[in-house]
Amino acid sequence: MGTKTRLLKRADSSMSNESFISLFMISVLVILFGIACAIVPNFYLPMNMLNLIMNYWYIIILGIGVTFLLVTGNFDMSVGGVIAMTGVLSVYFSQSAVVLKNPLAVGLGLPYGVAVGLALLCALAVGAVNAFFIVKLKVPSIIVTLGTMMLARGVGQVVTLGAQRNTSLPDIFGVIGNASIPGTPIKVSVLIMVGLLIIAVVIEKTTIFGRRTYLIGANREAARLSGIRVERHLTTLFLTSALLAGITGILMASEFKAGISNRATGFEFDALVICLLGGTNINGGFGSVLGTVVGALVLGVVTSAATGMVLSPDWQFFLKGTVTFLAILAQRYALDRRKG
Amino acid sequence: MVNTDERNAEGVKMNTKNLKIDKTHKWNRVVKKYYIYAVLLLIVIVFSVMKLDEVTFFGRGHFLSPASITNLLRSAVPILTLSGAFTLLMISGNIDLSVGSAMSLNAVVYSLMILNGFSMGIAFILTLILGIFCGFINGYIVQKLRITPVIATLVTLNLFKGVALLIVPNGVSAIKGTADKVMPIWINDYARKKVLLGLPTAFYVAILVIVLLIITQRKTILGKYAVAVGGNRTAAELSGINARQVAWLLYILVGFMAALAGIARASYMSTGNPLSGDGMELDNIIAVLLGGTAFAGGEGSVAKTMVGALIIMCVTTGLMTVIPPYWQSVAKGTVLVIAVVLNKMLIKTGVEA
Repeated sequence: MGTKTRLLKRADSSMSNESFISLFMISVLVILFGIACAIVPNFYLPMNMLNLIMNYWYIIILGIGVTFLLVTGNFDMSVGGVIAMTGVLSVYFSQSAVVLKNPLAVGLGLPYGVAVGLALLCALAVGAVNAFFIVKLKVPSIIVTLGTMMLARGVGQVVTLGAQRNTSLPDIFGVIGNASIPGTPIKVSVLIMVGLLIIAVVIEKTTIFGRRTYLIGANREAARLSGIRVERHLTTLFLTSALLAGITGILMASEFKAGISNRATGFEFDALVICLLGGTNINGGFGSVLGTVVGALVLGVVTSAATGMVLSPDWQFFLKGTVTFLAILAQRYALDRRKG
Repeated sequence: MVNTDERNAEGVKMNTKNLKIDKTHKWNRVVKKYYIYAVLLLIVIVFSVMKLDEVTFFGRGHFLSPASITNLLRSAVPILTLSGAFTLLMISGNIDLSVGSAMSLNAVVYSLMILNGFSMGIAFILTLILGIFCGFINGYIVQKLRITPVIATLVTLNLFKGVALLIVPNGVSAIKGTADKVMPIWINDYARKKVLLGLPTAFYVAILVIVLLIITQRKTILGKYAVAVGGNRTAAELSGINARQVAWLLYILVGFMAALAGIARASYMSTGNPLSGDGMELDNIIAVLLGGTAFAGGEGSVAKTMVGALIIMCVTTGLMTVIPPYWQSVAKGTVLVIAVVLNKMLIKTGVEA
């Protein structure tokens, strides 16, 4: 009985692992920010910080879907490929159908809304393929999504013949990606990001769906036995992740007014990195969308500090790798310490 | 080891139950044993028929012409060198996604040393040491720091790639001869100069590596331990196997082979391209899965992975002659999906998501 009360007391006095990790990562962010301010001139200017958040809207949108999946213990490496594919397809669907000499200028001539809808459907199809293989056939998610990453990007490459499509587009195509709130430099894409973020946080914190996600990640078998339809739940998550990637793809294509097949290379790694930096456990079970935002900010501080220090872009891979590694290591160490 | 036992137990159960089921079980086993050879045969036949209208069988330019076959084998050297060790690693239940980057890094370092006047032997040995070091790091992170293999090697993938990109000077895409420094012509000796039957030394080294690894897998303790660790790590540890050491050793082996493959690639292209190994990890995974190795470990065969590697090379080089290069991604992705499905159909043991 003595041990029991002690255990109870301990549980009362200490915070949960989740909030411990979140606090830990926030302090890492603050420290990194301090270092960056000290090294890079003018880093602390408000404009800089606003840019920091606004330049990372796409990674945060991707991060939402990837976080939910990672909490259940699954990876989605296909997001980068889906972005490229959706962007290219939305261009192809809305290019005018007038036959020209250049095959890259001829599309299907659909209205923009229909084109976007169809492109998003294609993104959902990739998500459905992921879900089918991972949930039904129980193939490891990393392999399946690496395969669909190649497939999706491959579709983009085939449609653009290995190059890019950027001509004979209707004017409306470039609106949504470039429009900003009147009087401010804040883009519509950022607003969409914030909207999606709020929805995600509400789902995660307050709904049954959110709780079930954690339960599946913590113990899939127990979740199944307690009556959660695990397969349907995971399918929904894979579809959502693909849809979010599709939305990102459409916004990015609109921003550049072009469908480029090798766009978004390596975004899948970035999305995974910010989830891990935000404290989501690699093996599933805990993590949070807000943590992912913190992770995105950490990555943002690191990369923009590197740019500010005029390092060549080649440093990016190295920096990202190192930062992720240290973050994972720190998490592991901190958690081990708490347990011991 | 573990799996044979399981299979036997299953067979016994079925014997007592119903003879018919036992027969289908047997048939399954036959299919499982030989399907990969059938797939290779089918692919070879399809590609040789595809170009039949242009040239005669075995003629110039045909898929089965001697020139085309030697070309295929020559470009298959890196994956043949690498995938054997990769199979052993996957049998032990681990994975290394950083092989492609490690290969590029080694290719860059090797060609940089050659360009700066190192002799071939010294450059060779130093690069191999670097490869061992890469494998050692992976093993350390996975086995000592206990970070999931997928994440750990995804991180080192970016680290190695970053280092390779940093070594290459600004404004150049790869290490190659410049105005004041000339890349010695003998860099080609290893992987391009024809030695025997129109094939270079690197190919015979790859064959030697394959033979050694097949022996390692079938006859030595390391092979048995890999199966044991991959089949059930706790059981292996309880029966006295140092699972951490086995897996670490296999990571080092993969790093070594990645260096060997990187040298072959650098020697073949006579440049050190920091992106030359990109996608190698996927090729390896496809080959290994086609070869029937269980993704979760515990079962697999080096020899069959080699057939799987040949299948990929046939598909990529064969497709190059038939369709435009931008179809490559779709083709490879499709092959991977097919490999996954075949693998799933043939290996009934459940795999954790």
